[in-house]
Amino acid sequence: MLLRWLVAVLLCLALPHTVLAATEIEISSPGEQSIPLGLTKFLPDQGVRSDRIADEFDEVLVADLDLSGLFRFVDPQSFLDDADRIGLFSTQVNFPQWRLLGAETLIKGTYHLDGDNLVVEGRLFDVVNRRLLTGRRYVGQSKDVRRMAHAFADLILKELTGEEGPFSSRIAYISNQTGDKELWLMDVDGKRPLRLTNHRSIVLNPDFSPRGKEILFTSYRANNPDLYRKEIYTGKEAKLSYKPGLNVAGRMSPDEREVALTLSKDGNPEIYLISTSGRIRKRITENWGIDSDPSWSPDGEKITFVSNRQGNPHLFIADIFTGKTVRLTTRGKYNATPAWGPKGDRIAFTRQEGGRFDIYTIKTDGTDERRLTFGPGNSEHPRWSPDGRFIIYSWDKDGNRAIYVMRADGTGSRRLTSLESDSRHPAWSPRW
Amino acid sequence: MKAIQFIKVSLVVLFLVSGMIGCSTTPPVSQDTVGQSDMSQQADAKAATGVTEDTMKEETVPTHAHMANMENIYFDFDQFTLSAEARKTLADNAMYLKTNSGTKVVVEGHCDERGSDEYNLALGESRALAAKNYLVSLGVSAKQLSVISYGEEKPAVMGANEAAWAKNRRAEFKAVH
Repeated sequence: MLLRWLVAVLLCLALPHTVLAATEIEISSPGEQSIPLGLTKFLPDQGVRSDRIADEFDEVLVADLDLSGLFRFVDPQSFLDDADRIGLFSTQVNFPQWRLLGAETLIKGTYHLDGDNLVVEGRLFDVVNRRLLTGRRYVGQSKDVRRMAHAFADLILKELTGEEGPFSSRIAYISNQTGDKELWLMDVDGKRPLRLTNHRSIVLNPDFSPRGKEILFTSYRANNPDLYRKEIYTGKEAKLSYKPGLNVAGRMSPDEREVALTLSKDGNPEIYLISTSGRIRKRITENWGIDSDPSWSPDGEKITFVSNRQGNPHLFIADIFTGKTVRLTTRGKYNATPAWGPKGDRIAFTRQEGGRFDIYTIKTDGTDERRLTFGPGNSEHPRWSPDGRFIIYSWDKDGNRAIYVMRADGTGSRRLTSLESDSRHPAWSPRW
Repeated sequence: MKAIQFIKVSLVVLFLVSGMIGCSTTPPVSQDTVGQSDMSQQADAKAATGVTEDTMKEETVPTHAHMANMENIYFDFDQFTLSAEARKTLADNAMYLKTNSGTKVVVEGHCDERGSDEYNLALGESRALAAKNYLVSLGVSAKQLSVISYGEEKPAVMGANEAAWAKNRRAEFKAVH
């Protein structure tokens, strides 16, 4: 339904890849090298001219591609006349002109606006080898222009790196802008915020189901921290776990068959697995201390969580099947909010050092710890983008907490939500 | 906004301190003047260095007559163990609950704003449970007591400083009507 506008047509991929193998652009990770890109503003194709459409598409595409860290943009001021020519076939593009400007890749496109109907066609060219790399046509309405641009950005990353971008996904978060903490949903660039709950209570720690159809969250609506599930498209909502005491930090397993969560029904916060109908399947932890905040490994065989069983809060990893539990973090006195990365190799978390929280990542064997943020203020609640390229988090350097996004190496941080109210606890959806 | 609330809090604290000074400057006749001036100097010093919550708590709630709001207990950062002072307060609260066995109370566990929401929800729960279990050990009927954790969601005091945090790491006792 959400994608009803999208009739994506893969265009003109006739060129055989074999002859071009020698010129494939290799990218190992974002930020390590940058490709000079000429990004032209899309031009009207016969229909009505609309600077708003062209500008908005351009703004979204530039922001997404800039965040990726893969590109160095050729200054649009230096563009020559080919930037104003519509021709989208590789035979029509004046590649030497772009070569002259130092561009190795080129994006050109057109839009056709007829009433409210919008067709956008975008192409990515390899300037060096004078060929089309990929192209797509998006059909929808004028209000869909941002989604079209995000989808095109995803496609460009896929073409150049082999892995699709995450720009068409969404971010769930908690905001108090109505006066109560409610669940909200927004685009990955912070635009189009949408309130999902109206509990007028306290709504907390959202997380997406792995296929993205539902969001789990905790709410005090019934005067107890109960776990809810909500279908995003229908808005249908139900309590999933409502035992006396805590029903918090619910995280659905990768196969969507179980939910890991913290319950305190036995007089101590412990991690359990429950079925999707709320029945307890398994108890994962059993000790005097606090156990909370589970995060699944992508293969669904392990969870990482926080426990103070050895004194201070540290991260542990438990094997779901054998119950074998190992400690992951050894440094610091307060480590929390683990988020297992989608590639399985690293876990992001927060550590308090000098009275302040910053974000770190660590390999799952406890080696190669890296600090990503360096204050000021507290950076908390890291979550990975579905492709593992980016980390979203909350940061309170300006007083109120706001949602920020950065590359997984800690570079390129930018703010997504307003500073006028408090936004926190982001969760990144899977790809839609 | 935060600043205003902080000022309000500061004013309350100052008010309470001045109340204490008032008490200490109306001593029994037998007290000598040197002692008097020492005491007011102490109070002044406290006012100058920022007053801790403990100072106001002990002296400003005179009797158990108004125990519809039983006294809060406070915790150290990331701890749910009961301090000697917390146990003393709980003993008072237990006495009240035993003499008013019809009163039912929700023990609310709270944390300061630092740390993860999820961990703090668990920590708040552990604080509330520690308080409840201690009350039960003092002879309060478990049926009178229920617990709920609000984690860091309902701070008593706004502010990102130790004075505010110390007031927020607490368990509250609220009568259920």
